[in-house]
Amino acid sequence: MRPSHWQTILAALILSVTLMVAGCTRPDTSPYAQTQQETTQPGAPAAVAREAEQGSRFNKFFPTGGNGYSVVYTQEKKGFSEAKLKRNGQDVAMLSISDTISLPAAADKYKAATETLAGYPVLEIGDTQTGVLVGDRYQVKVQSRDPSFTPQDRRNWLQKFDLNGLSKL
Amino acid sequence: MSKPIYQRVDELPTGGITVQALKSLDFVIPGQWQNLVGFDNTIRAVTGETDEALVRQIGERAVALFNDKSQGYQRALWLYDTVDSASGLLGTATLANRVGQDISFLGFLDRLTPKPEKAQSIDLSVKLVTELVAFCQINGIPGDSIGDFLAALADYSGESLMRMAALVCFDGILPLGADFILKGLATIQGLTPDELEKNQTFNGVKDLIPGANSKDKLNFIGQSFDSVKGWMTDFVASHSLTQEKIFDNLTKFVEISKDKLDYVGAFLDIAVKYYSHTGTQTLARRLIERAAAEI
Repeated sequence: MRPSHWQTILAALILSVTLMVAGCTRPDTSPYAQTQQETTQPGAPAAVAREAEQGSRFNKFFPTGGNGYSVVYTQEKKGFSEAKLKRNGQDVAMLSISDTISLPAAADKYKAATETLAGYPVLEIGDTQTGVLVGDRYQVKVQSRDPSFTPQDRRNWLQKFDLNGLSKL
Repeated sequence: MSKPIYQRVDELPTGGITVQALKSLDFVIPGQWQNLVGFDNTIRAVTGETDEALVRQIGERAVALFNDKSQGYQRALWLYDTVDSASGLLGTATLANRVGQDISFLGFLDRLTPKPEKAQSIDLSVKLVTELVAFCQINGIPGDSIGDFLAALADYSGESLMRMAALVCFDGILPLGADFILKGLATIQGLTPDELEKNQTFNGVKDLIPGANSKDKLNFIGQSFDSVKGWMTDFVASHSLTQEKIFDNLTKFVEISKDKLDYVGAFLDIAVKYYSHTGTQTLARRLIERAAAEI
């Protein structure tokens, strides 16, 4: 059957509106465009897994301050807890525990670890981070926020966490 | 759908009235605010990392966290944006009210718009509560936790401290005078839930203010204001802030004629979006800190 006159007009109209709308939308050329698309499409997986441990349960495993150091909690979300480490009032490092159940790749990278710290696989990550993986699940990190806070300082502070306690969570 | 977070941070302005007005407050908290813009740039500045692959990995995790609605980041950004645009509406009403007072035959405008001082006081207290609620959304603390907010306020720095400085200066001292804290408290204490409901700024953000109804929300606003008044009093005293000092510094950065002090609060309301600007910066920082720790 041949389309009637008004059907042809309607089709042309829809086509031109579609082209107009598409033409007006600037393509997202950001390197994050793909992540944006993957994490906003219908049915996209949540960034934080439902089974992730509450961040408030991590707090008791953090080190305490003393000797000019203080620990100030900054974030406490599902699967994550973080505190600032201050020395004489200045920020020197960030201390964190995260549940890798939300981000398995974070745990997988420890398979490449060649040494251990207090019995747990340890990695230097980038220029500022040292991390350990506890109980194959919880990632504990110390990140320098001041050049004076050295990789050795990070290792010392990692050992001040109650890592064994965390492994039994 | 809202804009991707990386676009928001990439598109933050490096100039314009908002940025200039905030720069005028550098005399209050010297060097605290750098107007950090650009998503990758913020990642490098916050973490100190330069390795591009790692920066990208942190950015991707931050984008995913922002897009997970259950995490509260989108609500926080909405609050910062909304309290700015809603108070801008108040600014328009206040200007109309001023015109009403100055030009007698337009006197009827008085009846259409709120009295500036009352409106400014409500605006100030609603903005303060917005900071508290957004703080809780970002940092994962229960939404009505005034105590946690107060503890964190003592440790505020960078763009968060600048936002509070702007609140005290642009929404407190400039429009209301040195006794803005007392005026604010008196206004809130004398306010009825009905009056609160007529305030644009409140209406913009009321859904996220703790409380089952306007009466509860008003109580919460009063409690929050009362708890933060000590911090604000100290802030004003320790920086010896006066209307004149703030205005003088502002005129060095933004073109306003010196005889227009009356209008300056209303002008700032319309032209300066400091909650949205510094709120985006705060949110980006927190997202990036979390992403860097989780990857």
